[in-house]
Amino acid sequence: MSPRYTLPMLCAVAALLSACATEKAPATADVAVSRAAVENAAQAGAAELAPAELLAAREKVQQASRALADKDYKLARDLAQQAEADAKLAQSKATSAKATDAANAVQDNVRVLREELDRANSANQ
Amino acid sequence: MSTSPMTRKLTPLLVSLAIALSACSSTPLTTSTLDQARSDYVAAQSNSAVSQYAVREFNEATAALNAANNAASERESIEKVDQLAYVAKQKIATAQEVARARKAEVDLKQSAQEREQVRLQARTAEAEAARRSAEQAQAEAEAARARAEQANAATQSAQAQTQALAAQLAELQAKQTERGTIITLGDVLFNVDQAVLTSGGQATVQKLATVLRENTDRTVLIEGFTDSTGSTAHNLELSQRRAEAVRSALSQAGIDRSRVEVRGYGEAYPVAGNETAGDRQLNRRVEIVLSEPGKPIQARR
Repeated sequence: MSPRYTLPMLCAVAALLSACATEKAPATADVAVSRAAVENAAQAGAAELAPAELLAAREKVQQASRALADKDYKLARDLAQQAEADAKLAQSKATSAKATDAANAVQDNVRVLREELDRANSANQ
Repeated sequence: MSTSPMTRKLTPLLVSLAIALSACSSTPLTTSTLDQARSDYVAAQSNSAVSQYAVREFNEATAALNAANNAASERESIEKVDQLAYVAKQKIATAQEVARARKAEVDLKQSAQEREQVRLQARTAEAEAARRSAEQAQAEAEAARARAEQANAATQSAQAQTQALAAQLAELQAKQTERGTIITLGDVLFNVDQAVLTSGGQATVQKLATVLRENTDRTVLIEGFTDSTGSTAHNLELSQRRAEAVRSALSQAGIDRSRVEVRGYGEAYPVAGNETAGDRQLNRRVEIVLSEPGKPIQARR
């Protein structure tokens, strides 16, 4: 085999393989972003309102941190991305639960007021 | 097709490359996570709240699902497809939740406005009720005042009537007794030994008729008496006729006969002796007993 052709060909193979092999760049930033997303979700009340999603996010952040320490950067990045998606879902679930409760409470309030009004009107007639 | 020496040289390399690629491209076209993400995506797409309130989040979910679909169609590893599908699935769910939250916020604003409207209606209704009840109270007070005035007028009229009666009775020289008010008509009001009223007697009876007309709750008992001159039977009959004469006169004056009772006692119950002419004249009399209002007259004992 001629070295003239072999080297570029090996480079090409390495490049192709690297697409599905372990990534070499540390996923530190991804893990940090997912950690922040988990904190935001917790502050939005996800511990009570979306416990399953928040727990999943926390566990994945921890696993991502371990993978980072083990220099398994691909796994770290994947877990961090999942953790961020879980945390954002937890946060939006908590927010929507609170908003829905508030809207229902006011709607109930309106219903009670209307009933009182109807009673008062019928009593006055 | 001719094969160059270079091609022959490359063949083992290409084979090894194909093997290397196949190691991570044995992926089927889909995974259960991707299937789930696709079906969640369809649901989110048909949710009008998502297209109204969570456009950015839905676009992000779309991009994430496209990445997963591309990875699947390029037959990348199950792990990679699952990873992308999972992220897409969570982003789709996030878009649904965001839409729910924003819709709830809009609903909250509308409900709050509605609540203000209902409160305003309630206050208006309260004011209206208060106005009505004030009007009603005023009307009731007006009615009570009118009733009081009426009662006052009735009292005054009753007092006036009582005073008038007292004056009329005084005019008739009435005397209050246990049996009621007694008016005594002396025999000068009758012609001697007759039961015909003189003009003076007529005038007195007219006054009595006026009293009875104005006091419809009273009745009268007319009692006739004589002196002891003459036979007892004659005296009884004369006293009866004189009492009847008074009743007739009252009847002509419009007093119902049912209100007038008549008794002849003859020479019984003298009010004086029968020795002197003056005493005998006192015994010749008609007594008219006027009842108390609404009460019967006690019989003579």
